[in-house]
Formats: sequence, structure tokens, C-alpha cells
Amino acid sequence: MSKTTKTKLRRSMLFVPGSNTGMVCNAFIYKPDTVMFDLEDSVALSEKDSARLMVFHALQHFTYQDIETAVRVNPLDTPFGILDLEAVIRGGVDIVRLPKTDTVQDVLDMEREIERIEKEIGTTKKTMLLAAIESALGVVNAVEIARSSSRMMGIALGAEDFVRDLHTQRTKEGGELMAARNQILLAARAAKIGAFDSIFSDIKDKEGFMHEVAYVKSLGFDGKSLINPNQIPWLHKEFAPSTKNISWAIEVIEAAKDAELRGLGVVSLDGKMVDAPIIARAEWIMDLARASGVLGEQL
Amino acid sequence: MVFSEVPSSNTIRVQKIKEFLEKEDLEISEDIETFVIAKEDDAIVACGGLSGKVLKNIAIDESIRGEGVALSLMSELLKIAYSLGRDELFLFTKPMYEDVFESCGFKYIEQANQQVILMENRYNIDAYKKRLRKLRQSGDVIGSIVMNANPFTLGHRHLVEQACLRSHWVHLFVVKEDASFFSFEDRYRLICEGLADLKNLTIHEGSDYIISKATFPTYFIKDKRCIDSLYTELDLNIFRNHLAPELGVTHRFVGEEPLCVVTNEYNMQMKKILAKPSAFPPIEVIELPRIEYNHEPISASRVRKLMKEGRLEEISHLVPSSTYRLIETMLSTTSH
Amino acid sequence: MSKILEPAHAGTLESSDVFVRVVPSEQNGIEIELESSVSEIYGEAIELLIKETAEAMNIRNIRILVQDKGALDYVIKARVQTAILRAQGTVSPDWSVLS
Repeated sequence: MSKTTKTKLRRSMLFVPGSNTGMVCNAFIYKPDTVMFDLEDSVALSEKDSARLMVFHALQHFTYQDIETAVRVNPLDTPFGILDLEAVIRGGVDIVRLPKTDTVQDVLDMEREIERIEKEIGTTKKTMLLAAIESALGVVNAVEIARSSSRMMGIALGAEDFVRDLHTQRTKEGGELMAARNQILLAARAAKIGAFDSIFSDIKDKEGFMHEVAYVKSLGFDGKSLINPNQIPWLHKEFAPSTKNISWAIEVIEAAKDAELRGLGVVSLDGKMVDAPIIARAEWIMDLARASGVLGEQL
Repeated sequence: MVFSEVPSSNTIRVQKIKEFLEKEDLEISEDIETFVIAKEDDAIVACGGLSGKVLKNIAIDESIRGEGVALSLMSELLKIAYSLGRDELFLFTKPMYEDVFESCGFKYIEQANQQVILMENRYNIDAYKKRLRKLRQSGDVIGSIVMNANPFTLGHRHLVEQACLRSHWVHLFVVKEDASFFSFEDRYRLICEGLADLKNLTIHEGSDYIISKATFPTYFIKDKRCIDSLYTELDLNIFRNHLAPELGVTHRFVGEEPLCVVTNEYNMQMKKILAKPSAFPPIEVIELPRIEYNHEPISASRVRKLMKEGRLEEISHLVPSSTYRLIETMLSTTSH
Repeated sequence: MSKILEPAHAGTLESSDVFVRVVPSEQNGIEIELESSVSEIYGEAIELLIKETAEAMNIRNIRILVQDKGALDYVIKARVQTAILRAQGTVSPDWSVLS
């Protein structure tokens, strides 16, 4: 099975600055669901070239063959964007994260360049896209952005730039992000793609982090970008399904299999009809349970 | 942690660096061109500065101390230095950090008072010592003089003459750093011309290892009221432990300083340090009285003052003819 | 055959990284000065890797000064390549020689 699909589990997407060699070499050890190398904001202008080459090689290294990789490239309207793209597509990245996606055109421009490079190197791989929405304009256009490309696997909130655009700053309560989170989630779900929350930057504040994770999980987000590996186990713990959810999922899946064996068109459980989306949801819970380590592999 | 470059012209940020250094028990160097700082939660947690080919004012907050930060900080400093084409670098630090900077490719040269050490990344001092060894002369009394001669006066001439009379051979070092009113080229040429008749004398171009910005930074800071005793010691320790043994130097000659308290103190300290017990033989410091003109000692600073006042006739009594000719040309070109 | 005209550097002294400086050389050949925490065991392999990396980029006259802090092969490769590209002033590299 391929290490990545559009619907893969993505609770934790760990940002790894491309200029931080130690992190680049070691990030896989922490087992985030996705390693997200950064060539954009965490890399100084003077190190754009060196970070690009480092990530180009890391993507090809055996330590990154069994883990999903994403790269946040620089926007195409900078001198670095196209060079980043050339490097990461050639390096075999799974997902390109578009920074500062404001309009559908931003996605189409990126898609066109990715297609060109894929053709040039003759790969059959179809690189996925993850659009980061980091402005008021992006939030307003989120619905169109989410369904603008067949490569789009999800949209993500980039809160740091977004609050600046709103003329405010982040608070513990997170009221300033409420509208954006809801909009992004709705847009993602309407397009049947993933929705990912922003980073939590105070790496020392575990309580605040856990609070935020519980909140975005309850809203419906699939996961969150992280900047510190320490946050990975915390997040995975919060995202682990409850025993109640798991036993429900086990029953749903069993009932579905049973109905299939018996050649029944309609599955029902406790007198309620179980349709395809419910079965998919149950399977997702089981994936999550396995990834969270709350179930043995035999399930 | 975020690293950034702060040019010394950035006064508001430099003020913050100054406060950070004071907390770390370091005095900010006035001659630094660029600082590198590391910030965490908007507070400076580490810094280092580049001045010419010297890295200094390197400090790391105790809370984050560990090789990791030092290596990151040094990487940033080296990038700046190399980008400016400065390959051969010196570094000042506290003795306790010797190992850390050794892992950055620097090697220990000398220390002063267990408070500061000087390190070098290419270790050219060995090559320099080898060159000196070839210029060694035999004799029981081997004198030495270090002078800036800004410019060369009859006072300097008298000091060297006296030293040559009392020694079998004299090694004269001319401060090489181009930080004086007269260029090194001019200072060196005037010394050679003014002393051409002395036979038992070798005139050396100075180096990074003798009264330079690397060994003695405070010497070159204008209007510095006190010559930092720590750097005095460092410079003298290098002379005593590295240079003097190669040439077999037994004596160092200096001019007496009846007027200037600072220089007088410097001479006193020199006597003490060069005679201190060490692995190398002691060097005797001989203070020679200054010659006077019009009841005032002849000195380079007096000549420079007269130059400013345009009193060429008076200067002619203080300097040898070659120095006089240069000053005459300089004054005539500036007055037009 | 390509030449580098300017000195350049890449990398850091941080653990797992490598600091690479490249200097144009009048002499024919690739001259490597390696200072490594693991040079006793891996010195020869690292030098070979550096040489091959430079050769793949068609560089022949160069001095490469390397301070290795226990970097993985691909890190060394990336740093040597970056330093050479910087020394050449190449912005848009030929990816086929970098893999």
C-alpha cells in the first residue's frame, strides 16, 4: 500500500525548518503523521538555496520513504517559489503546501507548474496540494479554493499571518480565529477534503495546547500543524478515539461485513440504517484507533 | 531561537546588547562592526561581535548554555566574516569556553590573568614563530623595542640608539595595524630611513601577534582613558611566551613616562609581567629617559599637535630629516 | 569543465551539520581539507563523497575545506553542492547533476 492517499490519517503535521539540519535529519523519529519541511517563513533569505537543496536530498533519503512528506514552498511570486517546486517535485514529495493562498488562481498557477515538472521528469506520481489560508481574502474564497483542483487533499489555517491581516493577535480563547476556523472546516467538508488547524506557538504551554487541540477536534478538524515534536504525543492522545467510539465502530464494521456476506443490500444496526458514509466513518475511527495505539494491530 | 545580524550603527538594538553583555559581566567593545544576536521570547539570550578579523563580546545566557547554541552563534559569525573575505580569524573568550570554541575550529594561543584567552582559527602563529627563529642573532644581551612611531621622532631615534649601545643586537617591531594618523607604510619607511646607520639592529614589520587589534584591542581605541590591564597582559604574555624565545630576547627597552600616568602604569605592568616566573626566561625592562626640546619631552603626540597648529619650524627640532620632509609635504598639500 | 571564481561557504557548525568552504584553486584537481569528529573511521569515505559530489558538478580546480560535525551523507552532499553553486553564482541549478 502506498504510504499516502488523499484520505490518510493526518492528525499531526510537523513543521521542520529546511535550514535546521538536525531537525531535518531527525524529524522522522518522532513519527508525526506527516513531516512538513518548510522552505518559507522559517528559512532566512540568505539560506533559501541551502534549505532547498537539503530538503531535496532529505526527501530522497530512505528515512523519509515510509512517512508522508509535505513541503511548504515559497509563493510563486517570489524568486524562490519556482526553484523550490523544481527541487521538491524532483525530490519526490507527496504534498506541496501552498503558502498564503488567497484565490483560486494561486492554486491553478501552482498546479500548472507542478504538472509541467512532473511531465519533464516523467513521473507517474500525482503530487497532492494542501492550500494554506492565511488572509481574510483566503478565508472568504475558501469554498472555491477547496474545490479548485483534483490534487487538493486539504486546506489549512495559517493563523499567524491571518491574525495580522485581521489587525489583531492570537489569544488563548481564540475568538479571533472562530470565523476562519468554521469557514475553513465548512469549505473542506463541502469539498470532501481535509481540514487542518494552525500551529500553537507557545511550546511550553502544554495546558493551552491541549485545550486548543480538544477544541479544534470538537469542531471537526482532522489535525493540526505542529512546530515542536514534543507536541506530537500530546496531540495523538487527544485525538485517540474513546472506547465507546471504538466499540461502536467495531459493531458497524461487523454488521456491514455480515450484511455483505449474507447478500443484504441494506445494513441496519439497532434499528438504524447504516449507509456508506457511516461505514467510512467507522473505518476512519478504526484507523485512528490503530494509529493512536489504543488497539492492537490484529484489528 | 532566532538569530539576527545587528550592525553597530543600529543604536537602539546595540544598547540592548550592551545591557545583555553587562549582565554577563562583559564590557561592550567600541570597535565592533557587526553583532550577531540570538533572541528567545524577544529577549537577547546570546551574542557575539565581529571587529576586523576578531570575534569577541561572545556571551550566552546561562539558561541556554550548551554547545548547541555556541555552535549556532559561531556559524552565524563565521558566515559574516567569511562573506567579508576574512579567513584568518581571532577570538576572545573566557577560559572556561576554550573547549567550545575548539570544536568550532579555533586553537588556543595565550591567556591573561585567567580571565581572557585568545584563540585563532588558522594557527598562523607557528609559521610566524618559525620566520622569527631564522632572524635570531647571537649575543648575551638581545634587546627589543616595540613602537608605533606615529610619526618617527628624535625621541624614538634616541631610544633605539641607546638600546643598540647597550645590546649585542636589537629587534625593533613596528606596530603594523593601520589605525594611526600615519599609515604603516609611512611609519615603517621613516623608521628604516631614520635608523639606517645602526648596524646591530633588525627592523621587523609587526604582526597580528604584537600590539595588534587581535592582541591588544584597547590600544587602538581613541581617547580610551585607561589601557585595559587585561589586554596589556595578554599582549605581553604572547611576547614573552611566543615571540621572545624565538629571538632569544633578554631585554625590552621603553621610554620613561614622567607625564602620562597611563603609559607609566603600562611600563610598570610590563616590568612585572615580563619578569614573572614562567616556563620562559625573564625579560628585563629598561626604562630610558626621554630627550627633551625646550624643556618638554619629544613625543609623537607633540609632533601631531604642532602639525595641527601648522608650526612646521618647531617640528624641525623634534624629528629627523626624513620625517620632516614627509610632514612638510603633507602640510603643503592640505593647505592648498 | 566548470570553474568556481569566488570563494563561498555553506552549512553550520551545529551538530549533525557540516561547514563547507570552497576556494578557487590554481592547481589542477580537487583538494580536500577535512576536520571531522568521526574522521578516524569515516574520513576516507567522507572525502570520497565530497570528491564525487564536486566531480558530478564538473568541478576540477577547487579547494574544499570541511568541518564535519557528524553529518549524514546527504547533508554533506547538500552543503558541498550549495557552496559550489554559490561560488559559481548559479541560481537555477541543473538538477540532474545534483541527485
